[in-house]
Amino acid sequence: MAIKFEQVGYDYPGFNKESYSALSDINVEINDKGEFITLIGETGSGKSTLVQHMNALIKPTRGSVTVYGIKIEKDINKKGKKVKLNPLRQKVGLVFQFPEYQLFEETVERDIIFGPKNFGVSEEDAKIRAKEVIKLVGLDESYLQRSPFNLSGGEKKRVSIAGILAMEPDILVLDEPTSGLDPKGRDDLLKLFTDIHEKLNNTVIIITHDMNTVYQYSSRVLVMNKSELVFDGSAIDLFTKENIQKWNLDLPEILQITKQLEEKLGIKIQKAPRDIDELFHQLKEVL
Amino acid sequence: MSLIEIKNLSFSYLEDSPTLQNVSLSIQKGEWVSILGHNGSGKSTLSKLIIGLLKADEGEIIVDGVTLTEETVNEVRKKIGIVFQNPDNQFVGVTVEDDIAFGMENLCFERSDMLSKIVEYATKVNMADYLKKEPHALSGGQKQRVAIAGILAMNTDIIIFDEATSMLDPKGRDQMMEYIKSLKDQGVTIITITHDMKEAILSDKIIILKEGEVLASGETKTIMNDKVLLNKSNLELLLPLKLLYMMDEANIKNEKVHDILWQLSLNK
Repeated sequence: MAIKFEQVGYDYPGFNKESYSALSDINVEINDKGEFITLIGETGSGKSTLVQHMNALIKPTRGSVTVYGIKIEKDINKKGKKVKLNPLRQKVGLVFQFPEYQLFEETVERDIIFGPKNFGVSEEDAKIRAKEVIKLVGLDESYLQRSPFNLSGGEKKRVSIAGILAMEPDILVLDEPTSGLDPKGRDDLLKLFTDIHEKLNNTVIIITHDMNTVYQYSSRVLVMNKSELVFDGSAIDLFTKENIQKWNLDLPEILQITKQLEEKLGIKIQKAPRDIDELFHQLKEVL
Repeated sequence: MSLIEIKNLSFSYLEDSPTLQNVSLSIQKGEWVSILGHNGSGKSTLSKLIIGLLKADEGEIIVDGVTLTEETVNEVRKKIGIVFQNPDNQFVGVTVEDDIAFGMENLCFERSDMLSKIVEYATKVNMADYLKKEPHALSGGQKQRVAIAGILAMNTDIIIFDEATSMLDPKGRDQMMEYIKSLKDQGVTIITITHDMKEAILSDKIIILKEGEVLASGETKTIMNDKVLLNKSNLELLLPLKLLYMMDEANIKNEKVHDILWQLSLNK
């Protein structure tokens, strides 16, 4: 198991010494092969805090997170020896919300090779990787010599994702990667993630609010609610078997429409449709 | 006389590639107008021009009878509040309450007035429990709500929401849409800049921008019924509307289904 959370709690230090809990009693295991996970829940439910534990960016207040055999606890570095956490950051690549604001180099190439060089890859090898990952994110090699600041928002996002991919992480975590993109930009980027996932057979974890993304793409869904992990299972089980309203979640649009049509027309759509074409064909049959 | 009148506005960041070209439009007092377009259509540039963050190459912007110039920019800004897409770009306060107060301080509100308004607007966006917290400890969506409270507290005649709900979860977004509706009922003129049809369909009027030009503008219902136009705009059709069009094309006539789907596209 690549990542294992055991009874993890995390408190954010607040103003005036008060603190508030962002995670409480989290138990979950994550593989580094072949999972396409979406992580969902209301704003403030603890999603971002959870993923920041996955590469020891923050350490649990209670419990432990074991990442590739290294057990991370609150006082991990107070037991005399210094545990090196840097290698974990290479294994688990984290792409923050609005990663495009973190671009800073003169050229796209320099931005991409910055990470790998930090992890001890030679400049020469890092440049070879840059050539590979720029194509992986759907841009051509000519972008490498351009300034990242003259790119569009979508292109900047791709460049910053390339920078993380260049570190060749086994687990790629993306915090709301499609927020702020238009529908086409969003679909292009999601297709990019599934392509990367299929090509590298790595694990991809996406934080999102878009239930359509959850329904269409994920092999596994994690739901956070008020600092707790309340669901771990398949999207279809989540949307057809659980009472999702208590977690303030919506149905994906296609299932909302199906439900409304069923209720208002007194009909039954037998199989939960994956997309609008499936709904159309089933609707045609029963009308 | 329109509250906002824009005449032949053009702007480019780089020579020879205009971001906005010859844009003319007018917005009436008390209207809720959506400016709809995909990434790169120039919609955010337009909002920055309206509040004078950018200076137009050509054309004119008149807000409430005042023509926007370097001399009048401060006067115009007092009339317009804007909420940006990324709240980190507009955080200045050490605590949530400081942050909500910032805009009011600039407009020289009385202190006692400010204190009650901070609580009032933090409550409206469901952030009253967080007044003493530091903004950096909040989630993206919570930050966005704080930013919105700060703008609402300024009590301006016009509020521009520049993709302001893109970081909220669906429930948060629905609440915000409800709140925008109530602001409109109180007489505030609303401009929402979005690529989300679900938001746009709630507004009174829609202006579609494409590659820096006004592709269409009109009553929401008229625009949403114009299949040819919507296809041309590259915007994503609402799913119920898509299903409606599919049924039309297959020549399936069912009044009841038609009505349900139309109501669904209106979020009802």
